[in-house]
Order: sequence, then structure tokens, then C-alpha cells
Amino acid sequence: MIHQFSYTAPTELTDLLTLLETVGPGARLLAGGTDLLVNIRNGLVKPNTLVDVKRIPEAHAIMSDNTKGLRIGWAVTINDILRNSDIASSYQLLQTCAHDLASYQVRNRATVVGNIVNASPCSDMAPALLCLDASVEIASSKAYRTVPVRQFFTGVKRTVLKPDEMVIGITIPIQSKGAKGKYRKLKRIQGHDLGIIGVAVARVGDSLRIAVSSAAPTPVATGALPLDITDSEALAAVDALISPISDVRCTKEYRRFMVSEFTRRLLAEVRS
Amino acid sequence: MRINVTVNGIAYEKDVAENRTLLRFLREDLGLTGTKEGCGAGECGACTVFFNGKTVNSCMVLAVEANEGTIETIEGESSGGMLSRLQEAFDRHHAVQCGFCTAGMIMSARELIHHTPHPTVDQIKEGLEGNFCRCTGYEQIIEAVLDVTGGYTAKEELIHV
Repeated sequence: MIHQFSYTAPTELTDLLTLLETVGPGARLLAGGTDLLVNIRNGLVKPNTLVDVKRIPEAHAIMSDNTKGLRIGWAVTINDILRNSDIASSYQLLQTCAHDLASYQVRNRATVVGNIVNASPCSDMAPALLCLDASVEIASSKAYRTVPVRQFFTGVKRTVLKPDEMVIGITIPIQSKGAKGKYRKLKRIQGHDLGIIGVAVARVGDSLRIAVSSAAPTPVATGALPLDITDSEALAAVDALISPISDVRCTKEYRRFMVSEFTRRLLAEVRS
Repeated sequence: MRINVTVNGIAYEKDVAENRTLLRFLREDLGLTGTKEGCGAGECGACTVFFNGKTVNSCMVLAVEANEGTIETIEGESSGGMLSRLQEAFDRHHAVQCGFCTAGMIMSARELIHHTPHPTVDQIKEGLEGNFCRCTGYEQIIEAVLDVTGGYTAKEELIHV
């Protein structure tokens, strides 16, 4: 049984931010709802107000610019990413990761911003965003700030967001345009499944970046590594980043092994 | 909250509780029970409907979100008492056993065909990855979709898909 709450769907961002300040921590933002509504149904969260963020037109915008890079609005869905031709030609790693996220119907609803705001260690979009050096645009009724994705997560399901703040966009710098990247997600079945671990490797300009999901309290990434780094140095850098746990899916030892194995394979693919 | 929503071409104005899912609204308030509830968590796809032209799991959509929107369900698939070509293909290939997943399968297949008029077996599998069937084992369902999109030749090709 779903508890009672009120629902509001502002049509202007300023109204939404004011509302967020007034209602306070009892409010939850509703985008795709593919995590939130399941958690509400299971009684894990009990917000008194749901604020639908999808009725504001700019929320759905994907803007690709030759000087500024790419900007993804706060309600852009995973399938919006997969259908965008600019992203297909210039930010292909985003599509590779998007393609591995849940099922078709979920991808029609789930948003890129929601996928990182939830701050799940197994986020599929975080590895791409980390590799592409993305930043998060955060707004409240009083202030605006940007935070690199690599500093956005603070723990399992925790981020730097304050109760009166929301993410209004994600930007990917022009330097990451044309990056060559690969993502590999270990799962039990080919279709819809949560990842056991995920590794993304990208060649951005004259450097390499490696990001890992499901192997630490948050998605993690290396800094820019030199292109001519040896495999063993790269593997050591990744190994130092992760702190996997054992759970129903597998043991921590297996996770550590597979992160290393996937990194080695992806390095070869990205370098070829 | 009062909502205006068009379902299978018919406009409705209804009062719904904010915590009512679109699935419950369709089944209990409009009596459209063709759409089923399986897992209630976006895993099984039995509740798949079109919301503003895109397939969604209606168990994970609030009815109030559909305000000013359009919904299409399995009840809108046939017309004038005649099955659609897709439904006929499901019938012909025995792609229905208990029927619980069928409404969702038809909705997802409809969306797949809209974007990919001549899908390969792999594209069909991906298009239907969010729909679970626990009876037929998928092969007949894939055959039905191939048939209606012109890709079905001989059963031999499909064994062990």
C-alpha cells in the first residue's frame, strides 16, 4: 500500500526551486520515478510531497555546442540519450553505458540526472560521466554552483546536494568530444540486470581515464593517465581505487578480479 | 487531484488520489483490466502501456503524471472486433500460453516495430528485454514478431535463439 502524499508539477524552474525551499526535506523530486516510486511502494521512503520536475520544457533539452560541449537537461531520459545523433557521433561512451541500463521501458522513463542523484554504487551512467570529466550544475532558489561528477558522490546513496538544491543539468566539456570509450558490465543475464561490476575505459585527447561501478561505496575513477602507461601500472591505479564488498551477487575477491580483468581487456580495445 | 487523460482515443476527466499508480487507475477506475500487474517494480513488463507515445511500466507511473496526456493500452490494439496483425501473429505462432505477459509483450513489440520496422532476432530480444514470459519460453513470441515484420522464413533458423 502506498502512503498518501501531495503532488505538484511546477511549470517554471524558479517556482520549483522556491517550492523546494519552502517544503524542505519532506519533499522528493519526481523525474522518471523508476527508483523513487518503487522505494515508496516498498515503504523505504515516505515523502509528504512529490514535486514532478518534468513539466518544465528546458528540462528535456540536450544541447551540443562546438565551444561549450554537451549539456543534458535534468529530465533527459536514457532513451533520449540513445536517440540523439550529436551524442552518437561525439559522445559515444554515453550511449554505450546508456544501452546497458535496465530495460527498454525503464530507459523511456529513467533520467540521466536521476541515475547519478540516486548515487547508487552500480550507476550505469556514472562511469561514462566520470570518464568524460562531466560536471553537475546545482541550483537552489538562492545560489548556483557546479561540481565535478568526481566530487559529487559522498557515499552509498549520498551526494553533496543540500535539501533545498537540485541538479538542473550535466555538462560535458568540449575536450571530451570525440573520446573513444568502452564499457563492460558484468551481469548474470544479457538483458535487464543490475551490474556485478562495471568498467569504462576512455581515451580522451592524449590521456586515458578508467571508471568503475559496483566496486566501492560510490562509482570511482582514475585521473588522467598517460596514454603510454603500462597495463600493470593502470591496473594498480584502478586496484587502489576500489574497495569491493561481498554480497548476494558475488564475493569481494571475485569483484576485484573481474575489475582487473575487464580493465585489461578494455585497455587493449581502446588502444587498438 | 482532477486529471484529464485520453485513453485509447477516449477523453476522461477523473478525480484520482495522488498515490494511485497509472496501472491501478487503468484497471480499477477505468475497468481496463487487459493491462496486468506482475512484479510492481519495473522488472516484468506485464503492465506496459504507451504514455505519450512511449512504452512505460504503468506500475511505476502515477496517474496524476498522466494529466493532459495520452495513454494507449492493449484494449486499443484491435479495432472493430478485429485483431491487429500483431495479435494475429501471436495467435498463429502460439505465442500466448497463460496470457498474463501478452498485453505487455504486444505493447513492447508495437514500440519496437515503430522504431525498427524490420528487426533482427537480436533487436527483438532487446526490444522485449523488459517483458518476462514464464510459459512459452520466448521462441514463439520472437517468431510472431518476425512474422509480422516480414523476417520469418523457416522455424529451423530460430531454434536456440
